[in-house]
Amino acid sequence: MKKSIHVTLKVWRQASGGDKGRFETYPLKDISTDMSFLEMLDVLNEALTHSGKEPIAFDHDCREGICGMCGAVVNGRPHGPEKGTTLCQLHMRHFSDGDVLVIEPWRSRAFPVIKDLVVDRGALDQIIIAGGYISVNTGSAPEANSIPVPQGAADKAMDAAACIGCGACVAACPNGSAMLFAAAKVSHLALLPQGRPEAARRAIRMVEKMDGLGFGNCSNITECEAECPKEISIAHIARLNREFFRAQLASDEK
Amino acid sequence: MELNAKIPEGPLPEKWDRHRFELKLVSPANKRKFDIIVVGTGLAGGSASAALAELGYNVKTFCIQDSPRRAHSIAAQGGINAAKNYTNEGDSIWRLFYDTIKGGDFRSREGNVYRLAQISNAIIDQCVAQGVPFAREYGGLLANRSFGGAQVSRTFYARGQTGQQLLLGAYSAMMRQVAAGRVRLFPRREMLDLVVIDGRARGIVTRNLLTGAMETHSAHAVVLATGGYGNVYFLSTNAMSSNVTAAYRCYKRGACFANPCFTQIHPTCIPVHGTYQSKLTLMSESLRNDGRVWVPVKAGDKRRPEEIPEAERDYYLERRYPSFGNLVPRDVASRAAKAQCDAGKGVGETGLAVYLDFRDAIRRDGRAVIEKKYGNLFQMYEKITGEDPYKTPMMIYPAVHYTMGGLWVDYNLMSTLDGLFVLGEANFSDHGANRLGASALMQGLADGYFIIPYTIGGYFAGTPLETVDGTHPAFGEAIESSRKRIDTLLAVDGRRTVDDFHRELGRIMWDYCGMSRNNEGLEKAKGMIRALRAEFRENVRVPGENETFNQSLERAGRVADFLEFAELMVTDALARQESCGGHFNEAYQTPDHEALRDDAHFCHVAAWEYQGEDREPVLHKEPLVFENVTLAQRSYK
Amino acid sequence: MLWLFRFFTASIGRKFLMALTGLGFILFLGTHLAGNLLLYRGGNAFNAYAARLHAFGGLLMVFEFGLLVFALIHVLFGLWLFYENYRARPIGYRVRKSGPGQTWGSATMPYTGLLILAFVVYHLIRFHFADKTSVTIYEIVKNAFQSPLEIAIYMVAMAAVALHISHGFWSAFQTLGANHPKYMPLIRGLGLIFSVVVGIGFGFIPIYMTLV
Repeated sequence: MKKSIHVTLKVWRQASGGDKGRFETYPLKDISTDMSFLEMLDVLNEALTHSGKEPIAFDHDCREGICGMCGAVVNGRPHGPEKGTTLCQLHMRHFSDGDVLVIEPWRSRAFPVIKDLVVDRGALDQIIIAGGYISVNTGSAPEANSIPVPQGAADKAMDAAACIGCGACVAACPNGSAMLFAAAKVSHLALLPQGRPEAARRAIRMVEKMDGLGFGNCSNITECEAECPKEISIAHIARLNREFFRAQLASDEK
Repeated sequence: MELNAKIPEGPLPEKWDRHRFELKLVSPANKRKFDIIVVGTGLAGGSASAALAELGYNVKTFCIQDSPRRAHSIAAQGGINAAKNYTNEGDSIWRLFYDTIKGGDFRSREGNVYRLAQISNAIIDQCVAQGVPFAREYGGLLANRSFGGAQVSRTFYARGQTGQQLLLGAYSAMMRQVAAGRVRLFPRREMLDLVVIDGRARGIVTRNLLTGAMETHSAHAVVLATGGYGNVYFLSTNAMSSNVTAAYRCYKRGACFANPCFTQIHPTCIPVHGTYQSKLTLMSESLRNDGRVWVPVKAGDKRRPEEIPEAERDYYLERRYPSFGNLVPRDVASRAAKAQCDAGKGVGETGLAVYLDFRDAIRRDGRAVIEKKYGNLFQMYEKITGEDPYKTPMMIYPAVHYTMGGLWVDYNLMSTLDGLFVLGEANFSDHGANRLGASALMQGLADGYFIIPYTIGGYFAGTPLETVDGTHPAFGEAIESSRKRIDTLLAVDGRRTVDDFHRELGRIMWDYCGMSRNNEGLEKAKGMIRALRAEFRENVRVPGENETFNQSLERAGRVADFLEFAELMVTDALARQESCGGHFNEAYQTPDHEALRDDAHFCHVAAWEYQGEDREPVLHKEPLVFENVTLAQRSYK
Repeated sequence: MLWLFRFFTASIGRKFLMALTGLGFILFLGTHLAGNLLLYRGGNAFNAYAARLHAFGGLLMVFEFGLLVFALIHVLFGLWLFYENYRARPIGYRVRKSGPGQTWGSATMPYTGLLILAFVVYHLIRFHFADKTSVTIYEIVKNAFQSPLEIAIYMVAMAAVALHISHGFWSAFQTLGANHPKYMPLIRGLGLIFSVVVGIGFGFIPIYMTLV
C-alpha cells in the first residue's frame, strides 16, 4: 500500500538567537506516508541544500522516541497530533493530502531559540543539578536486595522516571510551566526508600531553582499530561506538592 | 610497537584484586591537582565523570548533544547482566565469564572478561542505590529475566527502558558532581582532535557546535567514551549523531584501532521502507520466543502473507536448525535472513524482509497472552509501519546494531597512547567477535564506575607529568589542522549533499563488509570507498558557514572520517582470513554454513597503527592466550 | 521566619494559598447559596435570615474581614501568577490548538476570575452596602431584578462563577496534593456537580424574582 501525499509546510526560520525570525512556506510533493515526520524534514533539507539554501535546523538524535532531543510544535500540538508519540515517531500517514503544517519551536522564556526549530533546554538540566539525584558515592552502595521496594512503588517510580526531558510539557502548558518535568524527578526519587533521606531538601531546591529560571506557574490545566510523549500523570505533580509542603512545614530544611 | 596488554599474573579470579593492590595510589589531597577530560556522556562517560569527580579529580566533560542525558546508551532496551544468582539457578561469576567469552567466539581476553563478570554485581548495587527503578517481585526484591546466549536468568531490567534508566542514574550522579563544582560540563561540543605532547595525550580540540568556535582544553589525561561506529553503514540502530570522529582522530594521532571489522548485526529490526529512511529501529529479540520466521518457498511470490498456504511457506530457521529453531544466536539468524533475501525470497516492497509470524502463537495461547508478553513491542511496530502484527505477520530484517571493535586498550583501559583511556563501546575490550545481549550496559558501567577510577590513579602516580596549558604549540597546531579541515569542506561547494555520500558509503559497506563477506567483495569495496572518498573531496556541498549552528557541517566532518575509516574496516576484514562471530568470510565456513574459526592463525587481536594519509596502516597482533577455557566450535543444529 | 516567606513566595506556596483561599470561597458560596435559597420562601423568611445573620454582630465583622483578606490574597496572588505566566512565553504560537487536557474552565481562569472580582464589587455595592434604612433586603433584591440589565449581569456572572469553580474545585485538591487514581474521579465529579448547583442555584434567583 504505497501512498504519497502533498503537504505545505510553514516553518519558523530564525538564523540565530538575535534574529527576529519569520515563517517560510515550503510546498512538498510526493511525501511517502511511510516516512517519519523528521524524514520528511530531511527530504526538504536535501532539496534546500541542492538549491543553495540553508537547511532547516532541528534537534534530533535517536529517532526512536527515547532520547528526548527532538520536538517541535506542529499545528499547535507539541510533537504533533498523535498521543504518546515523539516527533521522530510520528509518521506522515497521520496527515492528509493537501494539509498545511505549521511548524514552530518550543516557545518559552526559559528555552531561548538557538536557530530555526532548535531551542536551548539547558534550564531542565539546571533543575536536575539543583537536586535531582540520590547522593551515593560510587562503591558505597549496600547489597542491592538489602532494601526491598514494594512493587507498586517501584512501578510508580518507573512511570515517573520514564520522562525523556524533551520539554514538551513546557511547550504545551499555556503558562509555560515546567512542573511536570520537576515533578517527575522529585516523584521518582521520593517514591523509593533510597530517595527518602534527601527528599525534603530535593523538593525545596528543585522548586526554588525551577522558579528562578523563567518558567510559568502550574495551574493544573493538564495540557502537559495530555501532550507528554511518555504520558506522565499529573498525579506526580500532586506528589511534588505534598513533598514540598512536607519539606517546608515538617522538616528541618530551611 | 609492542602491544602489552598488562594482564596481571596469577590465577584468573585473583588478577583484578592483585592489580588493584599493585597500582600506585594518588593521595586524596593530591587528586585535586589532576585535570581529566572525559569525552562522551553515555553509560561509560557519565559514570566515569561521576566516579572520578567523587574521588576529587577535576573533571571536564564534553558531549555532542544539548544535554548529557541524551547519549545513545539511553536507547538500550533489554537489560543488564550480573552474576547475582538471585534466581538460585547456579549462576556464578565464572559462568557469566564463560558465557561472555564463548559468546564472543573466543576473541577476547580472559583477564578482562573475568574482571567484567566480577564487577557486574557491584554495578547492580550501585544503580539500585542511585534510585534506578529496576523491575521487582511482589515481595519487593529484584526481578530477573532470561536473555539470549545464557541458560540462567541473570538480566536485570527496567521495563523496556533499561538503558534509559541506567543512563539517567549515571547522569544524575554526574550532575551531583556538577553541583559540587567538580565536573564542568560542556554540552554541544564535538571533539575534533587529540593533543599529544611528548607522546602523551594532554588535551583536546573541540568545536562549539553553537558558535563554531574552536576551543582547546588541556588536562593530565583524556578519557574517551564516544561509543561505536555503526553509522559507517548509514542505516543502523545507532543515533543520528553517533560517529567515529573522536576515536578516529585519536587513531590518527597514534592510538591503535583494534578489530574494526567486528560489527554486530541484529536480526530483528524493522526493515527499510524507502530510500529516504534515516535510521533503523530494533525490536527486542525476545519476539523470537513465540514468532516463527518464514519466507515464501517460491522466489518472487508477491501474494499477501495471509494468502500463502502453509505448504508454500519455508520456515527456514526451523528447517535448518531443528534443535534451536527460531532461537538461534543473532549472527546466525541474521545471515540466514540475508541468504533468503539474496535468493529472491525476501518479502515486502523492497524484497529485503522476512516474516515473523505470531499466527500460530495467537492460535495456541490466545491474543491476550501474546498481548501481555509483547504488547508494547507490537504497538511500537504498528506505530512505525502502520500494520497490525496481530493480524498480519511482522516484517523484520537484520540491521547494524553494535561494534565490538574499537580503540585498542590494555588491562588499564589505556590505549597505545599514554594518557588516553578509552571506555565503553569505543574500546574493543570485552566482547570479542560477538557481544551477548545485556552485556553492553554492563561493560560501559564497569569501565566507568569501577575500573577507570583505579587505573587512572595508577597512571598519574607512576608518570611524571609536566604542566601544560592551551598555549603549548601542540594546541595551536591541532586547532590549525581542525580549522583547515573545516575550511576545506566548506570550500568544495560541489553538487552532492553529505547525506547522499553517506548513504552510498553505507550501501557499499552493507553489501561488501556486512553480514557476509568475501575477499573479492572486500577488495572491490576498497576501491569503491577510495573512489567515493575522492569524489567527496571534489563534489560535496556543505551549505552555510563555520561560525553558526551548522548541522550540515557537523555531518560533513563525520562522514569525511567515516569515508577514511571504512577502508580500515575493510582492510581488517581482509586481513582476518577466518570467520568468527560477527565477521563471516564466506570462504571459511563449516559444511553446514557456520562460522569456521582458524585458531592456529587468527587467535589474536588485530590492532592497526596509522601510518599517514593514503598509506596502508601497520598491523600489530596481540596473541590471545586461553589458560582457563577450551576453545570450541559453536553449533546450533 | 525566612522559610515562611520563601514558602509563600515559591510557585507551589502561592498555589497553596490560591487553593486554600479558593476552598474557603467554595465553603462560603455553599452557605451563601443555602441562605439565598430562602428567597424562594418569600420576603419574611429571607428578611428574618438576614436579621439573624446581622445579630452575630462582631462575629460577623470578623468573618467579613476574613473574607476580605481571603479575597485580597486570592486576587493579588492570582494576578501575580497570571503576570508571571504571561511573561513565561514572550513569543506565542502562530497556531494554538488545545490538546485534550485543557477545558473551558481551566483556559479562562484568570478572565472569569477578573469578571467575578468586578461582579463582587458591584454586588457588594448593590446589596451589601445598600441603604437599608427604608427598605428591606428582600425588597432591594426584588427591585434589582426588575431590570433586564441587572438580570443579565447577574446571570453572566453566575456562569463565570460556575466555570471558575468547574476548574477551581478539583484543582484546589490537586494543588494540596490530594490526587490518587482511587478518588480523583470523585473529586472531579463533585466539582462539576458543585459548579452546576452554584450556577443554577444562584442563576435562577433573578428569574424567580421576576415571577413573584
